[in-house]
Order: sequence, then structure tokens, then C-alpha cells
Amino acid sequence: MNNPYRSIEAEVLKITTETPSIKTFLLKPKEELTFKPGQFMEFSVPGLGEAPFTPSSDSEIKETMEITIVKVGKVTDEIHKLKPGDTVGLRGPLGKGYHMTRFIGQEVFVIGGGVGLAPIRTLMYDLFHMRDKLVKLVYRGGCRNPEELIFRKELEGWMKRDDIDMILTVDEGDDTWNGPVGLVTSIMDGIDMNYSRVKAVVCGPPIMMKFVTFKLKELGVKDRNIYLSMEKNMSCGFGKCGHCRIGPYYCCTDGPVFTYDMIRDFPGIWD
Amino acid sequence: MPLDKSVLNFYFIAMLFIKRGNLFQLLESLSGDYRVFVPSRKGDSIAFTTFGESEEDYVIGEFRSFEPLKAFYFLGREKVAVDFSPENPRNDKPPCIVGVKSCDLKGLKILDFVFMDEEFGDPTYIKTRTGGLIISADCTKVVETCFCTAMGVNPWPDTEYDINLSETDEGFVVEIGSDKGQKVIDDHTELFQESNKDQIHSKELNRESVKRHIEKNVQKKNIPPVERLKRIVRKNYESDVWSEEAAACVECGACNVICPTCHCFFLYDQRSESSLARYRVWDSCMIKDFARVAGGENPRNRLWMRFRNRFEKKFDYFPVVADEIACTGCGRCIAACPGKIDIRQVLEKLNTPR
Repeated sequence: MNNPYRSIEAEVLKITTETPSIKTFLLKPKEELTFKPGQFMEFSVPGLGEAPFTPSSDSEIKETMEITIVKVGKVTDEIHKLKPGDTVGLRGPLGKGYHMTRFIGQEVFVIGGGVGLAPIRTLMYDLFHMRDKLVKLVYRGGCRNPEELIFRKELEGWMKRDDIDMILTVDEGDDTWNGPVGLVTSIMDGIDMNYSRVKAVVCGPPIMMKFVTFKLKELGVKDRNIYLSMEKNMSCGFGKCGHCRIGPYYCCTDGPVFTYDMIRDFPGIWD
Repeated sequence: MPLDKSVLNFYFIAMLFIKRGNLFQLLESLSGDYRVFVPSRKGDSIAFTTFGESEEDYVIGEFRSFEPLKAFYFLGREKVAVDFSPENPRNDKPPCIVGVKSCDLKGLKILDFVFMDEEFGDPTYIKTRTGGLIISADCTKVVETCFCTAMGVNPWPDTEYDINLSETDEGFVVEIGSDKGQKVIDDHTELFQESNKDQIHSKELNRESVKRHIEKNVQKKNIPPVERLKRIVRKNYESDVWSEEAAACVECGACNVICPTCHCFFLYDQRSESSLARYRVWDSCMIKDFARVAGGENPRNRLWMRFRNRFEKKFDYFPVVADEIACTGCGRCIAACPGKIDIRQVLEKLNTPR
């Protein structure tokens, strides 16, 4: 029988320092491990604990996986001490992820914030792979300042593509920044889209997701078309440990991607 | 006189009987294939002990044990993975649990729902649950905290057992609940006999009188009808009842530990010189950090929210996802709470218009 508690052994191939508190880990699992955008992995430092993260790499790359991790607590402190060649554990993929087929024939509006740009990267690769099936692709991203903008080069490369309408903003600019300054909600107006039919995907810190959701509603986007990537305390990742309940759902097995109409009535969704 | 084997073909009609002494012989025999646990008297309570390990005052009937049945299938702290191996580290003999009461069998329905799903089933739970044997028993006594009938549970098992025992003078009327139970009886026919009318009558009388006694408890406590529970928990979402009732809570988590349906746990990794181990450890939703995320956000940062969450989970979440109320009326949480919080009183208050 399958043991859902065991991790698969993986080797750290490369570590990229994105910002003073964010690193990207390129991992090579020793057994086959595939995932879909929006699904998450439990990443463990052997013997020291596990925490849930969504990969940031292209889901079509099968041999390796990238995970971008911000240092916020006990486990992530240990993860940030890792070196290339170290052994880690991966458990997953867990959760449902995005139903990519729902984006076919639609205008897709992606809004990312802060370290939420990491899981969004995986989604964007998939959206680019299926770009000819989308009516429109719009991306609005933001973070606190240019220093904290992860994947900056790659994102600036995407902005030059003609198959995407993309703008990035920062809350506070510096001399390297030529783009707009302000919250991501300030660059969401005036886009030529049929908002009542738009599929919007939001990923970022809870406070950002909350205000982006309210902004989307104001623009006329339907609750059932707002896809939120929820962050809850997910320990087992497969609906048993009880930590991540939202109303009748578990964030891990029923999500972590939920449409707003599924969860809007439950308290504490933004906390 | 030993039982005529042909009687077994009619076991649902012709009930069997086992004398007290023969039951212990049966358990002796089962000790080869199983770890056998029997309830024993410990002061005013009853707790499970390993059969035959020491001289004990075994109690088959009476009332529910101190510890919940989950403790056998889903240990308080249990190794669930070693290194990167897919092997299940648990390989002891399955349990044979004797004298299990009906409230705990109801609890198993919730645990089975949680742990026995196809895709991510818990290997140790499934192994002990499917490999184990349950020899349940009717309640013959009622304690003040018993309220099973309010949760739609009878004080005698009617499902989920392999063999059931109804205590009468000198022994037990036996019922068979599964093929596994029948096999045990087939293998030990010499220990059983046919039950007589008086024994069956005495079993029925006991069932009626115990049920009446519990119903009186339930009435005295004004516990709302079972079909209203989900509604009153939802309706009172913002009620002051939660903070009033949670005021005495010291966040010890005893209600969670003692509850036959509470299943929450956390995973804990440990490294020794030679290996890595992952443990599954019981957790408590009453403790502040239960739902907190690493970034610091906590959807239930107030005690009354965690208290409400416990009721939501039992009376709203499980009825919605599993069509089962996750309270068995065993009353253990009432007995265990150092703040004297009484689930019956909370339900009564929720049902009282303010």
C-alpha cells in the first residue's frame, strides 16, 4: 500500500537568491514526481520538519522542480540554510490546482503579489503553452519594492511579448524602477476586457488577495470566476490532520485554489 | 454440553450464549493472533488492560471505558514513515478489543470516513482497523455523563462489531456481526451453547432499562433533538454563547484527546544518528496555534472562535461531508474538562432563544 506520509528523496541542485529573504531551490527528485499548476508539495529538511509550498517552475519539466521560498519561520529558516548537494524530502503533489481547461476560449486576468509571483510563474508557463486557446491574457503584478521583485528579468522579458498585456507595479520605487508606483489594485482599471466573463486568478499575501478580490468585484468580475490560491495551515496535505478547514472544505484537498463563491461566506478566509 | 455445529447456520435466529469462564478461554485462544485488550476496573472508572498480563477485575458490560476506542487504531504518537521508505513502520499483531461500547463504535464511523479513503488512506489505521477484531458489549450501567440516545445512538451495539456480548447472569448472550466474527465462533464452537429464553429476555430487559435511564438523563439536561443540532450551531454563529461557555476553558485539549471522533493531528519529524522518522501526533483545535500559518495569520486567534470551531466540526462539518454527527454522547469531554464545560449545557443554550 502507498504510504502518504513518506517523502520522496530529492537533491538540491542549485540555489538562487532572489531577494534577501527569498530563495529558489532547484530540486531533482529521485523518483518520478509530476504536478499541475496550483498543486503544492510538502518540502522537508530531513528530520527537521515539513512545510507546504507551491512549485514555481514549468510543470512540463519532469526531471526537476523549482520551489521559491520566503524565510518566515522555523522550517523555512532551515530550508534557507541548505546548500547544493544536500538531500531534502518532497511529498506530493497535493491539492487540486487550477482546472486549466476552464481557461480555454476565455479572457484570463492574472494578478500576483509578492512571493505569490512564484506559484503564478508555474501557471503562466502553462498559460503561455496554451496561449493560442486563450482569447486574451492580462497580467498585473506587484510587490513592495524593486528589490523584492522576484524573477525580475524573466518578468521584464514577458512584458515585451505581444501576446500578453502585462504591467508590474511596486509600492515604493527606486532609481532602477521606471514602472508605475502604487498598490496592484491601482493598475487594474481600464483594461479592454469583458469583465463579466473574465476568469481572474489571484495569488499573493492574504491582505492583497482580499483587496484584489474586492477590486475585481467592483470591476464586475463574477465571484465564481475569481480563483483564489488560499493559504492555510496545511500539515498532512491530504484531508486528515484537520488544520486547514474552511467551512465544509479542507484547503489541502478541496483547494488550495478556490473560487470566491465557494468560500466567501466563511469567516476568517483572509486571516 | 458443546454446541451442535448445525445450530450455527441459524445463528441470527438461534442466539448463542457463552459462559464467563469460557469467554476468558476464548480470549486466551485469540491471544495467539491478536493483542487482546479487556476493560478493567480502575477505581471509579474502567480502563483497557492487556488481557492476561496481570490479575485484573475485568469489566465486560457496565459503561464506556475511560479512554476512547481511537487510541487503538490511531495512537497518540505513532511513527508513520522512516527515512524515504514507503514501508509502513507498524508491524505488530492486530488488536482484539473486548467490551467496546456502542458510543465508541459510532465514533469509528467518523474515523473510518477520515482515514480510510482510497487515495490517501492512512496505512496504519487501515491495517489495524481491517485486521482487528471487535468484541463489543451492551451497556449495563449508566453514568451521569451518558447521553448517547440524544445523538441517535442506542446503548447497545447494532453495527460495526464482529461479535457482541449482552451480559446476563453467568455469561453473555452472543450476537455475530460479521464473517470474521462467525469464523471466530466456528473455530471455538466448544465454548458456546445455545441461549435460552430467560437469557434473551434478560438481555432485552437490560437494554430497555438502560435506554430509559439515559433518556431520563437527556431529558433532565434539555438536550435539543438531534435533527436540530446543525441548525442551532449555524443559527448561533455570532452568538454570545460561545464566549460565555468558552470562558472556563484553559486550553488543555483534554476534550480533544478523550473524544472518540476527534482526529486532528500534526506531523513531527525527528532525526537520530541512523535514521529519520516522521511521527503522527494527536493535536488539539482548542490550542491557539492550531490554525496559525507560518506568516502569522490566524483565522481563529480568539478562544471562543476555537470553541465554536469544535462544535462546527462536530455538528455541521461532519453532517455535511459524511452524513454523520461527530458526537457519540459518550460524555467523556464532560468528565475530562477541568473547567467543567458541559457540551449538553452548550447545546441547550444554543437551543434557547435569547
